[in-house]
Amino acid sequence: MNERYDAVIIGGGHNGLVAAALLAKAGKRVLVLEKRQTLGGSAATEEIFPGFKVNTGAEDAGLFRPELVEALALERHGLRFVEGPAVAFAPRLDGPGLTLWRDPTRTQAELAERISPKEAASYHRFTQLVARMTQVLDRAMLQTPPNPKEFDPRELLPWAMTGLKLRQLGKRDMMEFLRILPMSVREFLDEWFQDPFLKGLLATAGVAGTMQGPYAAGTAYLFLYHHLGGGQGVRAGRFVQGGVGQLSVALASAATLHGATIRLGAGVARIRTSYGQVTGVVLEDGEEIPARAVLSSADPRRTLFDLLGPQELEPRVMRRVRNIRFRGSTAKVNLALRGLPRFHGQESPEQLTGHIVISPSMEYLERAYDDAKYGRPSQEPALDVVIPTLLDPTLAPEGAHILSATVQYAPYALAEGSWDEGREELGDRVVALLARYAPELPDLVLHRQVLTPLDLEREYGLTEGSIYHGQMDLDQQLFMRPIPGYGQYAMPVGNLFLCGAGAHPGGGITGAPGFNAAREVLQALR
Amino acid sequence: MSQKYDVIVIGGGHNGLVTAAYLAKAGKRVLVLEKRYLVGGASVTEEVYPGFKFSVFSYVVSLLRPEIIRDLNLPKHGLTILPLESTLTPLPNGDYIYRDADHFRTLRDIARHSQRDAEAYEEYGRAMYFMAKAVKFILGMVPPDPTSFHPEDLLGLAKTARNFLGLEEDQLYTLVKLMTMSAADFVSEWFETDGLRATLAASGIIGTFLGIRSPGTAYVLLHHYMGEIDGAFRAWGFAKGGTGGIAEAIASAAREFGAEIRTEAPVAEVLVKDGQAVGVVLENGEEISGDVVVSSLDPKVTFLKLVDPRQLPPELVEDIRKFNIRGSSGKVNLALDGLPNLTCMPGYGRHLAGAISISPSVEYMERAYDDAKYGRFSRRPYVDVIIPSMIDPDMAPPGKHVMSCFVQYAPYELAEGTWDEQREAFGNAVVDALSQFMPDLKEKILYRQVLTPLDIERMVGITQGNIFHGELSLSQLFFLRPAPGYAKFRTPIRNYYQCGSGAHPGGGITGAPGRLAALEILKDQRK
Repeated sequence: MNERYDAVIIGGGHNGLVAAALLAKAGKRVLVLEKRQTLGGSAATEEIFPGFKVNTGAEDAGLFRPELVEALALERHGLRFVEGPAVAFAPRLDGPGLTLWRDPTRTQAELAERISPKEAASYHRFTQLVARMTQVLDRAMLQTPPNPKEFDPRELLPWAMTGLKLRQLGKRDMMEFLRILPMSVREFLDEWFQDPFLKGLLATAGVAGTMQGPYAAGTAYLFLYHHLGGGQGVRAGRFVQGGVGQLSVALASAATLHGATIRLGAGVARIRTSYGQVTGVVLEDGEEIPARAVLSSADPRRTLFDLLGPQELEPRVMRRVRNIRFRGSTAKVNLALRGLPRFHGQESPEQLTGHIVISPSMEYLERAYDDAKYGRPSQEPALDVVIPTLLDPTLAPEGAHILSATVQYAPYALAEGSWDEGREELGDRVVALLARYAPELPDLVLHRQVLTPLDLEREYGLTEGSIYHGQMDLDQQLFMRPIPGYGQYAMPVGNLFLCGAGAHPGGGITGAPGFNAAREVLQALR
Repeated sequence: MSQKYDVIVIGGGHNGLVTAAYLAKAGKRVLVLEKRYLVGGASVTEEVYPGFKFSVFSYVVSLLRPEIIRDLNLPKHGLTILPLESTLTPLPNGDYIYRDADHFRTLRDIARHSQRDAEAYEEYGRAMYFMAKAVKFILGMVPPDPTSFHPEDLLGLAKTARNFLGLEEDQLYTLVKLMTMSAADFVSEWFETDGLRATLAASGIIGTFLGIRSPGTAYVLLHHYMGEIDGAFRAWGFAKGGTGGIAEAIASAAREFGAEIRTEAPVAEVLVKDGQAVGVVLENGEEISGDVVVSSLDPKVTFLKLVDPRQLPPELVEDIRKFNIRGSSGKVNLALDGLPNLTCMPGYGRHLAGAISISPSVEYMERAYDDAKYGRFSRRPYVDVIIPSMIDPDMAPPGKHVMSCFVQYAPYELAEGTWDEQREAFGNAVVDALSQFMPDLKEKILYRQVLTPLDIERMVGITQGNIFHGELSLSQLFFLRPAPGYAKFRTPIRNYYQCGSGAHPGGGITGAPGRLAALEILKDQRK
């Protein structure tokens, strides 16, 4: 029999490690159990081709909470963010492409020249509005959602502060905030811009990682969510030196410094309970580890159905878990390249230092979604491409590059065939599409890895390949996330907590669910 | 210059008439100005083809507020609502789903498809009943402004919060889902039978430019559940004499209270003097003065056409320009030589006296929307059919019938061509969609009236032919309808009010905006 831990954390993804570090820092005895041999979960950097360190899942750490960098002194543990001058670049077949620069005034100048001064002026006012809206959302990130059925005055105080922030915006902005949140990103952008190409580029932030098209209500919210952390109303677009996995390495280092234990290759088979309370976990090899509290950074369905077991749940809670919409919608194609490709409409390599976006119009994006809606991969998908080696050459051998494309839409549930049969076809289609924009690309490819939603499920345990651990739709937010009534990290079994993206505020490399869950655990263990 | 009125109501649709009736009842000298030769707006009955009476546009009723029926004593003025008891959904495999007033029969029929769905159906019905009951108070309240500290607004907000937070836990979460989810996802949480999902979710797209899988449509589903007839929730009915019967009854009540109604009197503009409405000018140049002017027309017309937008704050003008009012539905009215025969349920039974919903699968419905998204009418549209002459024999000559087909989608803005060119092709698509399930329909058609959104705009005057005077989406509801800060039926121009479906709580034959506007006007008058 093992010694008893205060908290066992299932999963060494970034959220699990955030929770571990914070709990250890607060003096708790903490054990992290990671099934794979690599930390980071779906935000890992792995040498999948010799000499190429590839971000196999997430790329961008722009949403990561600065509060955590400070609280855990992550810079001392080796964390370095890198960011280039470009945030996003849209190559174009019939003329110069469009770049959204980190410096909004530079973008305005470009828009004024390429589109019209009017569009540039709209962009200016638009980014200011987005900056004000995200300030309000920003406050909600590190708060526990209220429970609408049992108001606890202590819980309400931080939300009252958020309300106050909202009111400080003034009547007009406050109304705008409430009006925009439930809109579609298409309606939102249509109110501001004329140019279809610009709107196609901007709209990707509203649908990234979700099985919704830009015409769907609620995507304006996701757009704002993805603009958190950037300030100035521009997406943050920030990479991690050494690959996104280094974020987890830094977190692990902080956690270990504070006394936490981290075990790799230790897959959890079951969460054990007794009389409605967790008592610990059982590993896949049968080893039992007792714990006062268990935190799971796995998604809610894996946590509650596979690890805990539906028999532990009331029927109506079980039904709520069953009703969570996962709907994985993205695939990833990682390429090792012999050299740097050139894109149509690209003038300098610095344009490629952010995200390279293939989404020439909102209609293109919506048509890509139409395919997925009926269960087939988009014939002409939207691509979000990054070449992290431009800013961090250490990731690949000298002169070589890594190009990673996040492909949307790739539905988990296919109407015909299986992903095992369709995997390489998807890879071919993505390379062919990229070749239209960067004709030399196919000749530069040394290695290729295609990760379908099925692979994401198998490899990273993401139900249906949903990178957000459940869709980020409006009805799966706040006290409705992960399931109605359990929005405060504590799950229906005593001392079981959810600390991953399936909990508020949701997906992305934010660290926020881990932070919030740790706070709730400390409260519960007191 | 003719005589002076206390109140001039622009538009003799049901909401305008309700406002007029309430104000006349309160002793005001009221004049209603209607541009067409008859009152009713989109709730009219017309003999378009000799001997056949069509409910030309709106065709069923359920949402008309009971307090209006009582306050205006509408039954005395001839309002009779005949129940519409069943919904038949023919399925592509030749089967059907049949739901009617006989609850147990409905359950038995659903159980043929899925035992689990039959069990869920009861629970679903109960849940929606409670939801509608919980939300219904909103139809009778002026939406509070959440940014205001005015006691009235705080009270309204408190009332809203109390109503919602007082719900049972499961009900509260169901409400959140209804406010945000897609109709298809919402019903899929309850049911597994595809055809049942499709036909239940269909109410979520009526009048909207959204597909059944678009988030936000579950609210429209709820909106359609808020009706009641004689205290029976979610019952749908048909007004005797067609939908025009409703407008006629309200007009008759208004006249009895002393209101004057002038038809063929289109208003060109509202007269504004020193920021205050003082009357109207008709299209023929006639000026009529009134202390208060109320527009029942849609927000685009009310704010941008009837008055000079330069008299309004620029922000409001911008908001109204942004206001989403995309037309998405059409109507096909048929005069029939006899009843059509349905393949799935042959013979001339009671099922023909209910609704027949062409909504065979979720994918069928979603694909209908895909066409519309890119500016084409649905090649295989969703059609909601009723045969009014089966319910009210006076609608057609003996042995003959009228068939009313509500169709989606028919986008107002076509990617190619014009509606004047495509009208008949659209009519053909609708008849073809119906013929799949009623093969002998074509040979029974004596006359066909096809109404595109452009026709609705031309005839009724609603911008883009949007039957709700603006999409019922969360960003255009409650305190945001039609624009932030102007949800209380007032406008920036003193004594100029709005009372149509573009105002809270939105479209459908509810009379609610008309009534609330009248009450607000009376409140201002007392000040």
